Amino acid sequence: MSFWNKALAIAWKDVISEMRTREIVFSVLVFAILVIVVFNFAFGETQETLTAVAPGILWVTFAFSGVLSLNRAFVAEKEDGCLEGLMACSAGREVIFVGKLLGNLLFMLVVEAIALPVFMVLFNLPVLSFELITITVLATVGFVALGTLFSALATNTRAREMVLPILFLPLVVPVIIAAVKATGLALAGQSWSDMSTWLSMIIAFDIVFLVVSYLVFPFVIEE
Amino acid sequence: MENVGYLFAAYTIIWLVVFGYVLSLSSRQNKMKRELESLKEALKEQPPK
Amino acid sequence: MSVRNILLGCATILMVASLYLVFIYVPTEATMGVVQRIFYFHVPLAWVAFLAFFVVFAFSILYLWKRAEKWDVLASASAEVGTVFTTLFLATGSIWAKPVWGVWWTWDPRLTSALILWIIYIAYHLVRSYAGGSRGPRFAAVVGIVGFIDVPIVALAITLWRTQHPGPAIFQGGLAPSMMLTLMVCLITFTVLYALLMLIRIAMKNDESEIRRLKLTGN
Repeated sequence: MSFWNKALAIAWKDVISEMRTREIVFSVLVFAILVIVVFNFAFGETQETLTAVAPGILWVTFAFSGVLSLNRAFVAEKEDGCLEGLMACSAGREVIFVGKLLGNLLFMLVVEAIALPVFMVLFNLPVLSFELITITVLATVGFVALGTLFSALATNTRAREMVLPILFLPLVVPVIIAAVKATGLALAGQSWSDMSTWLSMIIAFDIVFLVVSYLVFPFVIEE
Repeated sequence: MENVGYLFAAYTIIWLVVFGYVLSLSSRQNKMKRELESLKEALKEQPPK
Repeated sequence: MSVRNILLGCATILMVASLYLVFIYVPTEATMGVVQRIFYFHVPLAWVAFLAFFVVFAFSILYLWKRAEKWDVLASASAEVGTVFTTLFLATGSIWAKPVWGVWWTWDPRLTSALILWIIYIAYHLVRSYAGGSRGPRFAAVVGIVGFIDVPIVALAITLWRTQHPGPAIFQGGLAPSMMLTLMVCLITFTVLYALLMLIRIAMKNDESEIRRLKLTGN
């Protein structure tokens, strides 16, 4: 089996198991909507305020929901010992990384795909534009790349739900900053050229995070 | 010399933290040296199995 | 004359020299007044903290590559001293900011990146103690490596973000020669202090593993 086939097989395994239990997507989705609602109570005095804080709220929601979803990413492997199994079948550590990455990416994108329309309705903002969707997808890739690495690390420590946010959020800040900036521009209806600085930053960060996480991941899961 | 209070605060903090750190290192090291000595004594009395 | 005692002697002499330079020799700065003298310890603390972070990065890579315990000892000792220095430069920066800028804190690029650096240091120690057994050093090394690569990226992102809202400038104009001299001497002082603290901490860690070994094989 080629590299991509193996990676996709790992991702598919996660997808099937998720489709049976629905534990990740469902709870994360509810959490995301709750966060959006609470933020509305905290900031939603006027439509102007809402429009001003919307990009930040959107990305804080995605960041926290993302952490929640990533927290679960390696738990199954750890508890049922699948990780050793995966490593034993000469899959190669990198394949495991890419496979888990694809699975996590899919879950986050599904949550975002549902959360965005909800956001649009509750905040009265043109969130479903092509620009914004592109930004969201691109930023999520970088987020999930670093997140998969640290999720694997955190799963092997005590107090894992606490370790992941502390480790991961400070490091993923560049992607979030760039995404918030670009989202703000997109919501204001700016053109692609205005957003291009931030978009190219997101892409650059994505590449760095992908490469670094890919290279370092084997050291985390070796036994 | 306005704001001299802040100057004093900054240097005091530096001094306190560095001094405190060195003190804590010192005391931990002494404790360990004593533990190491007593372990070595104990080992001399009973040869390792 | 052990290395440690030589360093101790040098550190003491240098510290006295630095204090003289900072408080007596160097003239008071025109715009900020006396408070500006905090600069002479604040900046070296920051530079040495970054140096310590780089050392953590380098020895973390060595540890993951060679897996000898001594590389991990060096990395974790540097991380510990680095954390102390980072805490200090954040604190002194804040104390300096209050009279000069009127606020304890501002979210400008340098300060925010420094805060993130501090958090990553804390995370480094957290991971080391929360991961059991052989995983501790390995995971800490991962954090040391990824963190070091990421901090400049964080700084870059925040700088690009914040140039939309220019914050207070830290220094206008260059440094007078007397100020440069004072700064350099203080920098050397803190570098020597760092080396000294490292030596002490490394010796302690070696004693710790010695104790652990004796406990395992002996009793």
